[in-house]
Amino acid sequence: METTMSFAVEPLNDETVIVRIGKALDFRNAADFKTACQDQVRDGMRNFILDFSETGILDSTGLGSIFSLYRQVSPLEGQVVFAAVSRPVQVVVQLTRTYKVFRQFPSVEAAREALS
Amino acid sequence: MTFGEYQFRDLDAVIDGVHALFEQWQQEIGPHPVLDEIALEQTKLAVHEWIANLVQHAEFGDREPEISLAVVPNGCAFECAIKDNSEGFDLHEHLLGKSIEEAFPERGMGLLIMQACTNNLRYSRLEGGGHHLEFIVSAGSDPWVNIPF
Repeated sequence: METTMSFAVEPLNDETVIVRIGKALDFRNAADFKTACQDQVRDGMRNFILDFSETGILDSTGLGSIFSLYRQVSPLEGQVVFAAVSRPVQVVVQLTRTYKVFRQFPSVEAAREALS
Repeated sequence: MTFGEYQFRDLDAVIDGVHALFEQWQQEIGPHPVLDEIALEQTKLAVHEWIANLVQHAEFGDREPEISLAVVPNGCAFECAIKDNSEGFDLHEHLLGKSIEEAFPERGMGLLIMQACTNNLRYSRLEGGGHHLEFIVSAGSDPWVNIPF
């Protein structure tokens, strides 16, 4: 497992990676998230499972950084999916209707099975 | 209950301080006949977006930053006020008639999220300096922000 400043990144295979978001994805660490994900895309990763099980804060800047990731991987036929979405994250998902874009799974394991 | 007014002076610590308060309030409310936890989450999100705006963009000159947050339950709503001693923003310039044109935008969603979550959003200059943002978040609403996909 590779740990960035804020995020733990776990490759599942050559194309899929789990990103453990941790307590917050907001204006304070969104740039770190973008850098971590760009590095993964550069290494050939296309599918991202974002684990929100511990996440108490997702703000507009954090969401923007997820949109940035989506814009990178969608031309490569990659996916960004949400797993174990906490209530604060669900409020943002509902408010922005992003459930239309990012598939949600009750657990990382469920996301992993769906993407394998 | 510990709802009330709280002061913050450290811009590096204010976000964590605010979230710690909301965690406490969420525990205090628990299952409640009128107030709902989603409304408190929406209140937290709106407060976070505004304070993030202050931390990133506000000019405090040579003054020590002062931010105060008051959240008070009232019926089935939360009334919220945030005061600060910054030079302020032209909020109406940023909000009025604004929409997002770009698909999957990286920026520009914060104020729209605030506007969507809240009612009676008012921003004014305080006599003697500083600024005051007030809003209400009502339980049972299903707000949304129109983001192009």
